[in-house]
Amino acid sequence: MSESTRRGFVKRSAAAAAGMTVVGALAAEQADAKAAAKSGPVVAYIREPRTGEITVMAGERQVKLEDRKLAARLARAAR
Amino acid sequence: MSSHREAPAISRDPVADSTDLYAFVSPDDPGTVTIISNYIPLEAPFGGPNFFEFGPDVRYRINIDNNGDGDADIIYEFAFETTVANADSFLYNSGPILSLDSANWNRKQFYSVTRISRGRRQVLAEGLACPPCNIGPLSTPDYDMLASQAIHGLPGGRTVFAGQRAEGFYVDLGSIFDLGNLRPFENLHATFGLPSLAAAPGVNGTDNFSVHSIALKVPKSDLTGNGSNPASASSPDSVVGVWASASRQAAIVREPWSEYVHEAGEWTQVSRLGNPLFNEVLVGMGFKDLWNSLPPSADKRFAAGVQHPELAALLPVLYPGVFPNLAKLTAARADLVAILLTGIPSGLIPGFQNLTGNTLADMLRLNMAIPPASNPSIFGLLGNDLAGFPNGRRVQDDVVAIELRAIAGATYPLVNSSYTPDAAAAAVTDGLTPASVSRGFLSTFPYLGIPQGGYQTAPLGTV
Repeated sequence: MSESTRRGFVKRSAAAAAGMTVVGALAAEQADAKAAAKSGPVVAYIREPRTGEITVMAGERQVKLEDRKLAARLARAAR
Repeated sequence: MSSHREAPAISRDPVADSTDLYAFVSPDDPGTVTIISNYIPLEAPFGGPNFFEFGPDVRYRINIDNNGDGDADIIYEFAFETTVANADSFLYNSGPILSLDSANWNRKQFYSVTRISRGRRQVLAEGLACPPCNIGPLSTPDYDMLASQAIHGLPGGRTVFAGQRAEGFYVDLGSIFDLGNLRPFENLHATFGLPSLAAAPGVNGTDNFSVHSIALKVPKSDLTGNGSNPASASSPDSVVGVWASASRQAAIVREPWSEYVHEAGEWTQVSRLGNPLFNEVLVGMGFKDLWNSLPPSADKRFAAGVQHPELAALLPVLYPGVFPNLAKLTAARADLVAILLTGIPSGLIPGFQNLTGNTLADMLRLNMAIPPASNPSIFGLLGNDLAGFPNGRRVQDDVVAIELRAIAGATYPLVNSSYTPDAAAAAVTDGLTPASVSRGFLSTFPYLGIPQGGYQTAPLGTV
């Protein structure tokens, strides 16, 4: 395989892989959206944005996650 | 009051406010225990057009501890739903309600009962009907019949009722909240320099008000840890701790310009009740809401309020010269700790114990092997009646007088025989008896009386 051809193959393969990643991400997003739609309304509670701790509530479930960036973004959005 | 409006937050949420808890061996069915958990304080019988009802967004529980750790081993959970037949009508009922399935009754309530043990949920029944509120002779002409239709059998020999009942907790609210001015003794009150009043009979401040009761009768073996039928009063297995609780979901969101309300998250306890008056009298104002959110196993932090009750220090001040021995009693009140937080061990009262162990936990403790009394005393253990409060609590027990007397020092000799209670400690009372309850009591399940009808009720008068 010539160098140019090899480069082209690598590029095409990379593009295909990227495309697959995009398709995969889209599919995952759609699946997430479907699952989220099933869960009904979701409530997020951030008691202290500095800690990054977010309590997410849906139905009778309640989970805690730590995401400083998301907590900060949500806090900024609420200002 | 016993636990009506006893804490700042729950006083703003009456639907979830547990007001009284009773637990006793059923006098007419002594193989069973009846537990009654009341909610919604001071229902005025004419309080329409949206008459009182359980909260469909509240989870009500009766909790049983049978191993002494102050946590629930068995839970009976009650969940309510409301149906509206005609949303276009403003009426609760459009004609006489003659049966629980009456088409004239616009707003009905139904409920489920679930038993939870060792993490296993067993739905005992669903779609059980509540009775309506007692409205008046045109709307609910045969209320006794409606109420009796709402007594439901459950699997396993259990029986349940959920609905409006007459308030059975008799207490002179007006005098107690007016700086402890107990009417039978108000001639002895310090009065803060104001004119003294002559002694007078008590006035039942809850008379003719109603509550919403969840009453459950179960075989004794339904409550024990090993499923056995308690036979020996000296056995620890015969004693259970009972408390009621109510929870709401953690988050509530109201949408503007909409009737839509969304609730989400875990169920969060907002009300608790074991022994009558515990949170009201023995927990400081700044901690009452916290107390309501906790299980009994967390009560160690409130022990100081039991060991050194504020009321015990107030009585000698409010009634100068009446409680001289109580005024000198500064030791930690181990008697009150036993009565309210651990149970009473063997050896203090002949033939009796209701100890659950060393865990300090406010629970209504019932020794189920003590049979119902043939001649009950409303003063329970203080009246030498082993089947009454603080061995559980019966609907007619005078818990106000019992707790006043205990705090006044009447029970301190149980732990210190050298102490002589003041004469007043055996006599103090707000001056009421079960006869002060106009609606009376029933001799059979659910034991609390038929609620007063709205039409038949006059507004409060003046003493």
